[in-house]
Amino acid sequence: MRKSKLTRKQKEHIAAYLFILPSFLGIAVFYIVPYIICFTKSLYVGDTFVGIENYIQLFQNNTFLLALKNTGIFTVTAIPLLMVISFLLALFLNSFNKISSFFRSALLIPVVVPIASLICVWQLVFDDYGAINGLLNSLGFNTVEFFNSEWSMVMIVFIYVWKYCGFCVILFTAGIANVSQSLYESARLDGAKAHQLVTKITIPMIAPTTFFVFLMELIYSFKIFREVFALFGDYPNTNVYFLQNFINNNYYNLNYPRLSAASIVLSLFIIIVLFIFFCFERKHSYS
Amino acid sequence: MKDTVMKILKYILLIAVTVLFLFPVIYMLACSFMTGSQVSEMLNFSDGKYKELNMIPNMATLEQFYQTLFRKPEYLLKFWNSVVCTFPTVIGQVAVSSLAAFAFAKLKFPCRDKLFFIYIILLILPLQVTLVPDYMILENMNLLNNFLAVILPGTFSAFGICLLRQSIKYIPDSAIEAARVDGASYLKIFTNIILPQIKGGLITLALLCFIDNWNVVEQPLIYFDNEGMYPLSVTLTDVGSSDYGIIFACGVIFMIPALLIYLYGHRDIDSPFVGTDKG
Repeated sequence: MRKSKLTRKQKEHIAAYLFILPSFLGIAVFYIVPYIICFTKSLYVGDTFVGIENYIQLFQNNTFLLALKNTGIFTVTAIPLLMVISFLLALFLNSFNKISSFFRSALLIPVVVPIASLICVWQLVFDDYGAINGLLNSLGFNTVEFFNSEWSMVMIVFIYVWKYCGFCVILFTAGIANVSQSLYESARLDGAKAHQLVTKITIPMIAPTTFFVFLMELIYSFKIFREVFALFGDYPNTNVYFLQNFINNNYYNLNYPRLSAASIVLSLFIIIVLFIFFCFERKHSYS
Repeated sequence: MKDTVMKILKYILLIAVTVLFLFPVIYMLACSFMTGSQVSEMLNFSDGKYKELNMIPNMATLEQFYQTLFRKPEYLLKFWNSVVCTFPTVIGQVAVSSLAAFAFAKLKFPCRDKLFFIYIILLILPLQVTLVPDYMILENMNLLNNFLAVILPGTFSAFGICLLRQSIKYIPDSAIEAARVDGASYLKIFTNIILPQIKGGLITLALLCFIDNWNVVEQPLIYFDNEGMYPLSVTLTDVGSSDYGIIFACGVIFMIPALLIYLYGHRDIDSPFVGTDKG
């Protein structure tokens, strides 16, 4: 009976590791090992070790710099925008005393509909001769080339916000519902105004939710590439040429060293964004 | 009086927001009842005429559905491929993630937070980063041109762990402590206490995971040589070569499984992130 000799704590550790084991095996094989392979590849050209030569070349590559710039622009505009819009919508939905769950469910529909089903609808809306341009034209404005100008980025940001807003609203609504009502009541007794209730109580109290929403938004911000790919193909115009396009195209050119280096840079980029937000969240939450 | 006006304005805004979110879906549904030639005309952008968002079919028919279901067997096959790629992934991911999420949320062990941080980073990495190394690994495992090449990596995504950890956190520690004192094993705690309480979380994960894999595009293109194995999402995304005549009906058929799961679970989706103790 060796088992009975283990302390409670050790038992807990063993149980925990057993629970994690299946996922860890899979993640090791399909994520960690590939990542290490990817990193080593980025240091070689063919069979010769070249150190950071690939990275130096990468940062001298104009296409890469363009892709990095576009990804950066998208991340710093779309994510905060989605965060603010979904938070405001959640407050708005919360302001109704009684609301049919239909409305909250309706917000989730865009996530549910497969991308492929909607591509034609987006084309009808955003094409040079699409619905928006038809409307603009009848009002006497010039055609906005959504597929071939800086408006492409606006379109992608719009689709991103439209698609994932509902999910974020639901997360925020749940976070707000978890804030204790007594806090609001005592603040109201102290004479706090409505906007103060939001800034001084709701926002700090839902910090963990905000962090979670941010994580989800970051993940989804990379998934929006599927829409970009479906709408623009392999070579989108320079305004929406993202790092994923760069990696994809180098895959088709069989340029693995450059591809691996770009992948590592992309992951560093993500880690930095995550880290900044993490510090920011630590600073601004009670607890 | 002022209150009533505010209230009406609020409801108008609510309805406007809802319509904005539902519009593309309703529109697609409307278009799926049009004749093939009307759709082709609508999607012909080179005739120099501005498109209107015409919701009303000239002549409502089921022609598109008939064509898709009975005249184009390859679409049905692709639909089936989608099913084969997606369902095992969903089941696998829900099982694997719920186990790990329980450990991360409620058990204490060395390096827990560090390990979780690694998971989060891996979770966020875009697919493109691991696509090529995964290809080599799958090649070594002799899994290329096998549906498992899409299913296995999809199963082990850290996304589910993150999501379920969030909803398990709301279960009070005292419930687990009490069961421990009564001598329940961790497995028993997991099946009898945790799982029933995170039903909403499990359904949410199943839905999101389903959608994600239902939309899979890149992996089949790279891992499968045989176009007959491509799921429907790959074909539908390649708009240039699609059959315009049936594209909306195809889109609607493709959407149905996702909508069914959603309708089954949407009531539970709010619940996973709401705690029971509002102290």
